[in-house]
Amino acid sequence: MIEINNLVKHYGDKKAVNGISFTVNDDEVLGFLGPNGAGKSTTMNIITGYLSSTSGTVKVNGHDILEEPELAKKDIGYLPELPPLYLDMTVLEYLNFICDIKGVKKSERKEHLAKIISMVKITDVADRLIGNLSKGYKQRVGIAQAIVGNPSILILDEPTVGLDPNQILEIRKLIKTLAKSHSVIISSHILSEIQAVADRVVIINKGKVAAIDTISDLSKRLSGSSKLLLSFKGPVKEVSSKIHAVPGVVNVASRISDGDIHELELTVDSSAASDVRASIFFAMAKNGWPILEFRSLDPTLEEIFLSITSQG
Amino acid sequence: MTAIFKREFLSYFRSPVGYVAIAIFSFLSGFLFYSQFSGNGVNLSSEINSLRNFFVIIIPVITMGLFAEDKKRGTEVLYYTTPVNLFSVVMGKFLAASALFGVMFINVFIHMFVTKICGGSVGVGTWGSVIVFFFMAFMFISIGILASATTDSQIIAAIFGFIMILVIQLISTISTYFGNTVTTILGNLGVNSETAATIGSKITDGISWLDPFAKTQDFRFGVFSVSALMFCLSVTVIFLYLAFRVLEKKRWSQG
Repeated sequence: MIEINNLVKHYGDKKAVNGISFTVNDDEVLGFLGPNGAGKSTTMNIITGYLSSTSGTVKVNGHDILEEPELAKKDIGYLPELPPLYLDMTVLEYLNFICDIKGVKKSERKEHLAKIISMVKITDVADRLIGNLSKGYKQRVGIAQAIVGNPSILILDEPTVGLDPNQILEIRKLIKTLAKSHSVIISSHILSEIQAVADRVVIINKGKVAAIDTISDLSKRLSGSSKLLLSFKGPVKEVSSKIHAVPGVVNVASRISDGDIHELELTVDSSAASDVRASIFFAMAKNGWPILEFRSLDPTLEEIFLSITSQG
Repeated sequence: MTAIFKREFLSYFRSPVGYVAIAIFSFLSGFLFYSQFSGNGVNLSSEINSLRNFFVIIIPVITMGLFAEDKKRGTEVLYYTTPVNLFSVVMGKFLAASALFGVMFINVFIHMFVTKICGGSVGVGTWGSVIVFFFMAFMFISIGILASATTDSQIIAAIFGFIMILVIQLISTISTYFGNTVTTILGNLGVNSETAATIGSKITDGISWLDPFAKTQDFRFGVFSVSALMFCLSVTVIFLYLAFRVLEKKRWSQG
């Protein structure tokens, strides 16, 4: 459990973090969301003891990170944005070194490392130089490093940034596995990233907490203004008026037209009892207007910020 | 500390740095040893003391990466976010660089052995020179470590270390120059020439008090001075402590 209380960090005149408070419960995955430069990395660096705060406290399982750093740090595994890897060592040498500095007992080491290596699936590359590994494998070694010493809390700073889609899926799967036995704080500037793994979300903007909520409550909050994208072949004016007539559709706006292919952006009152999508489909089908694409437009982070700040 | 020592020491041999340093040292010491064959008898003290002139090149090379590389690669995070103590990190790296010096010095031990079995003299003075060599190496390594702790660029660390070591190696020249300059300026200002010369020489003496070479020059004759060794050791500790403070300050930086 981590308690963060009124954290402030100045860089010269700039306040990178300005009064952030939140709590991470045991065995919870907390998403830490914000645009680039919002103060995510700074906050994580303070929680892990890499930087000190200008004011405010961080308590890790009851131990203050500045007053009892050794006890607090024992409970934290940290994967910074740039994984702290020695490229001139093999994976196994490196993990042994991490065991040394984290004080893992010699007698338990072999078993402990074997478990970690199979968990993060780096058995095949255990004897290779880290410098020769792909980015995805390097990230796995970074995660392995974080879980050495069985910390109860994992802090992962943008763990999927720069990976290809397959690697992203695998890392997400790994994080979910880890979440069963650890509290995890995971940061990202991509909403879907957090949605995929987190129970609860802290959104920060300009160094301040903009919202703390569960994913489902957050989407409920946003659901008042959900949007759909409809791409079709047909006369745009007639279609617009037909769709506007469907109960639940609040607004229809034209996006792009290319010959007789058009795109419409529909604003839907999703608190309406029925799903408008079925009605729209049947309305289009009845008139013989083929639908080429029909999907919901995910709210972007900017929209979430706008909506949250306008509500709050 | 042992973990850091082991990692750093072995990493010298995972890159060319360790091999190059050993090769250069072997060449220089071999050359200095060989060049004495034509004279009457080999003077090992002279070989060892001449080798000290190359500290200014060798030490920046072996210390420049110790912290600068960690900063650049992001691996320094490990020192701050794991339970390891920051001062033991500094000590581990210091011992690793010192151990590399020990390995390089095997050359000279071989020369001593060869000299001995060929009937040359390996006396107290030689051992005195060996002791001085290592104490000075410790001192300059700690300076190199401070240089490396202040920057994330190996080149800047090397240059910074080079300059600091050069200043200490030239300190007796610098002190004379500085004293003479003061004497000249005071003379031009109309100060009595005798007083000006006295003040100048006091300044020369003051600065050259810092000269570790002068303090240890009698070791080669077998005249040992504990205070000289304490001086080298104190400077070593001071610079290691400064490096530790520089690293710790980073955490508190507001800049």
